[in-house]
Amino acid sequence: MTMGVLCSGEARAAAPPGGFGDDTSAADQADQPTGPSQAELDALMRRLDSLEAEVERLRAERNAQAQAPAPEGPAPAPAPAPAPFDDPVDDPAGPVPVGSSTDGQRPPDFADGFHFGSYGRVVAAGDGRGRPPRDADIVGRGSRMDESTYAELELRREDYWKATGAFTRVVATVALRHPIFHYNAEFDGALALRNLYIEEIDLGLKGLSFWAGSRMYRGDDIYVLDWWPLDNLNTIGGGAGYQFKSGSFIKVHAGINQPNSRFYRDLSMRPLPYNQPGEAEVAILDRQKLISSYKIGHVFKVGESGGVKLIGYGETHHIRPGQREVPGAYREFEDVPADRGYVAGGEVSLFTGKRSTHINMWVRHAWDMAAYGEFAYPSQLAPDQTTKGARELVVALGGNFEKNAFGVMMGAYFRRFRNASPDLDIHDLNEGIVLVRPQVWLGKIAGIAVEASYQAQQRAAFPDLSTTNSGPLYASMGRFGLMPFITPAGRGSYARPQIRAMYMLTLRDDGARSLYPQDDVFNQRGVDHLIGFGAEWWFGSTSYFRD
Amino acid sequence: MIRKPPAWLLAAGLALSLGSCLDFQGHDAPPKLTTEVDDWRDEVIYQILVDRFANGDNGNDYRIQLNAPARYHGGDWRGIEDQLPYLQELGVTTLWISPVIKNVETDADVDGYHGYWAQDFTQLNPHFGDLVALRRLVAACHERGMKVIIDIVTNHVGQLFYYDINLNGSPDEQIQGNGSTSPVLYINEYDPDFDPRGIQSFTSLGEAGPAPIIFGGDPATNHLPPNPAVFRNPAAYNRKGRTINFEDPDQLLHGDFPGGLKDVNTRRCDVKEAFVDVYAKIIEQTNADGFRIDTIKHVEHEFWRYFSQRVRQRLATQGKRNFFMFGEAFDGRDDLVGSFTLQLPPEAVEFECASGGPPLSSDQLDSAFYFPQYFQAIRDVFQQAQSTDRIQALWEQRTTTWGTVAPSGGIDIAPADIPVNFVDNHDVPRFLYDVEHLDLDVQLALLRNALVFLYTAPGVPCLYYGTEQNFRGGNDPANREDLWDSGYDTSGETFQWIARLAKVRRNYASLRRGAVNVTWATNRTGDEEDAGIFAFERNGGSNKNGYSLVVINSNQIHPSRTGFEGAGMPVIAPPGTVLEDVLSGATWTVATDGTVDITVAAMSAAVLVPAGDVI
Repeated sequence: MTMGVLCSGEARAAAPPGGFGDDTSAADQADQPTGPSQAELDALMRRLDSLEAEVERLRAERNAQAQAPAPEGPAPAPAPAPAPFDDPVDDPAGPVPVGSSTDGQRPPDFADGFHFGSYGRVVAAGDGRGRPPRDADIVGRGSRMDESTYAELELRREDYWKATGAFTRVVATVALRHPIFHYNAEFDGALALRNLYIEEIDLGLKGLSFWAGSRMYRGDDIYVLDWWPLDNLNTIGGGAGYQFKSGSFIKVHAGINQPNSRFYRDLSMRPLPYNQPGEAEVAILDRQKLISSYKIGHVFKVGESGGVKLIGYGETHHIRPGQREVPGAYREFEDVPADRGYVAGGEVSLFTGKRSTHINMWVRHAWDMAAYGEFAYPSQLAPDQTTKGARELVVALGGNFEKNAFGVMMGAYFRRFRNASPDLDIHDLNEGIVLVRPQVWLGKIAGIAVEASYQAQQRAAFPDLSTTNSGPLYASMGRFGLMPFITPAGRGSYARPQIRAMYMLTLRDDGARSLYPQDDVFNQRGVDHLIGFGAEWWFGSTSYFRD
Repeated sequence: MIRKPPAWLLAAGLALSLGSCLDFQGHDAPPKLTTEVDDWRDEVIYQILVDRFANGDNGNDYRIQLNAPARYHGGDWRGIEDQLPYLQELGVTTLWISPVIKNVETDADVDGYHGYWAQDFTQLNPHFGDLVALRRLVAACHERGMKVIIDIVTNHVGQLFYYDINLNGSPDEQIQGNGSTSPVLYINEYDPDFDPRGIQSFTSLGEAGPAPIIFGGDPATNHLPPNPAVFRNPAAYNRKGRTINFEDPDQLLHGDFPGGLKDVNTRRCDVKEAFVDVYAKIIEQTNADGFRIDTIKHVEHEFWRYFSQRVRQRLATQGKRNFFMFGEAFDGRDDLVGSFTLQLPPEAVEFECASGGPPLSSDQLDSAFYFPQYFQAIRDVFQQAQSTDRIQALWEQRTTTWGTVAPSGGIDIAPADIPVNFVDNHDVPRFLYDVEHLDLDVQLALLRNALVFLYTAPGVPCLYYGTEQNFRGGNDPANREDLWDSGYDTSGETFQWIARLAKVRRNYASLRRGAVNVTWATNRTGDEEDAGIFAFERNGGSNKNGYSLVVINSNQIHPSRTGFEGAGMPVIAPPGTVLEDVLSGATWTVATDGTVDITVAAMSAAVLVPAGDVI
């Protein structure tokens, strides 16, 4: 403002005629300055009004910021990696989504407008014998050093709504996986639409959020295993959450999916009605799975930036009964019973808030249908054709530690799975892995990571009649990898992008080899190599983030 | 070799595992072989078609089609284990289960659910369970004093190869000939007609030598080269094509079984050794108690000498004695059936195969299915009310047509004393099907009467599953119904009757072990006073007097008596002995002349023991 602001609404007082006293001479009167014209006064009034409105708006904004939920835990730790631009970053505007912690594990901050984010990795590799690379893990979640090309392209629209003081984020994420065009010259890449949802935060109540759509809805992960041990749901649905000022939060969600199998959908051909020629496909069985999840958490601050996060978690899975056509029989039906499942679990997370140093532990137990996983179609059912009796137990550990030029990431888990069939079979297993990836940074732009892991699996499978050894199948593998990399992002286990080279040695025992079919090279050899190079990045992605 | 995990890892895993051990209840290790049978004549065999008996494990129910009798239906070994109480209540003591090894999955839209289409002798049929499930079934049976007999096939394998007759590398169905100057011939390369020279290949220019055989390569239907490797050698097969005249000895022994089942060259030493090895391994891995052997008449005697002797020897060294091996020769000729139990000396050429073990002897199988009795007694007499003297003639000739010397190291019973008796099985129409034209009450009465014969005649009774539920299917596959459709009901009359007969048999050792003497048989089938009567004594056994007398009236019209024109039926029970029918409670007294005059209602029987022996 370039002129002094007078009291609102106050008009400048006109100079009294004659001034003070009557001895003001005419000459003096003639020398007195004349006041503004009415038009000028009107213009001044309008200007004042405009300025006052601006003040009110700014005041409201300030109030809104003051009432915004306190970030979970202490103030965000300084980013371990420098910003990509020299210009100072604008202070993040907008809320912090419910449940995001302040150990650096947080999604991109709100900023009005369109945004692009991505997670991606591209790999060019081989086995040293002319074959393409291949996932050699025998456990469900193994080393990610041999993962294939995958990318998520995320488009977001974020807005602040003055009328309601709410924030919205619309997210659309397209995922692509190997093989891509430059590998096989096929114009039919494997494409999936993963996120397609809108989230509304501070709608009606500060700290309250809603979302609806298709969403990768998940919590904390173990990076080195590419896995979310406790909660990783991919449904189309919606949810709500509330962030308490104390740092506690609660989130609920419900969603549906329908994996492609006869457990969910059975199509049969029928003649068209009214004697029309031709046939139509009719869904005799067509049922969706309803999954709900419930999460409560709290962060206890420790020190300046650290904390302890505790999470309690649960899921319910439910599917309705139906009928299915007996295979090979026309209009002969069999009943398909209703089914359900449950998950209960928790997480303890310790974090320093600095250099992404943290350690998380999870325990998750699933019953019945939930034990098979959200996209799996249940098999090896119980005698009553349900999943009753299936169980899965997961105990997992993941973390990262960084100090100066040294860091180490680790991941480990034990998993026990039993399907619903009362008798043990090859699908019943115990498995686990211990993996460590220490790394050292060379200056700020390069580093070397070394990875070592041991994974083992025990399955209720027996060799053929001609073999006399006893006991269930035990299979194990040791893997050793080396990954030099360069990065503009500075030091940090989660600093990206990276361009990297990789070498991995795999040593599999006889049991691991026996898991592969006859003539499969993994059946024929106990030693394998992976040699390659590639890149990994993530930025601005709502589903993959870590400061 | 599969390595066990290091101890520290096991400890860590156990600490975490919280009860995660894969607990196979001790069945993950091969069992110790034991001898479970004292005397096979005490047993009652129950024939089970595994796929149709009970479905205890949905996890192995892939490709099942319940509405198609010729497809898999889901029965498995776990299902049998679950129904052991039902079987015990029925009174059976030994389960003969259909073949356990991996089969051709499906061929020409018919599944290998029955087990007779072997593809891999080293693997179990995954439709029925795994090795643990089979071990557990055998162990569960043994715990209840029951035994398990496993069905095996040595004559043929499944439809594993075709004859490349036209040398084009693909299995063809051809039409050859123009019908005027040459006959029109239909040639199916999977199942060509028999050629004593071996199947020949030919082109338009003429024959081109023996047709090569080409094994299948389709994992989806399991048309794959067999295991073990010896069966991938073309020389392991006779390769002469399909038998079209079973009266021709060459075709009988060397022809492929109808349906493309390839005949194995069982004269080869490596084949003999391989069969001993693969089938003995099944016993070593499960502790089962015997073999029922399929299609024995299509295999040379030299094979049976080698196989039976080497199996007995191998199992005996590991603790399995009294191992029962009986075969199926689907034939009404008693001399043919019995020939597989005779002491037939080996020929010189056989010793080449036997050089690695004890010298070959004349021993063959312990017994065989009494098919001649099935045709002449069950069909002719009990279903068609023909004269009963044929049964006497058949029994009396058995001392010459069957072996009278127990094979060494066998079951210690002469084969002639232990034929395996049956009223029906999976290869013939069910008993009730053949009498379905009669009134229902007549059908059931005939069945009950035949069952009395089955449970009292010398030998071992073998009951086909479903008989107790009045199943009435015709020929295969109609006679392979799902037993679960019956609800395993134990209250039915036939079930109760069989259970009662089993109890009678169990109570009176003479019915199991006694020597037989026919006391009355007749060629009369009309209005005569003894028409349809067949009576025999069983003498011996540990019941007090060691004596029982069975009187059966096969006449379907009127009661008959054990007498004709004043002549009574002499018995060896002393005069004055009061004989009581354990089925009805009625009594008769042996007359002073040593005869007894017993009247039995039509389609009925009396099983008499001295009144003091009645339990």
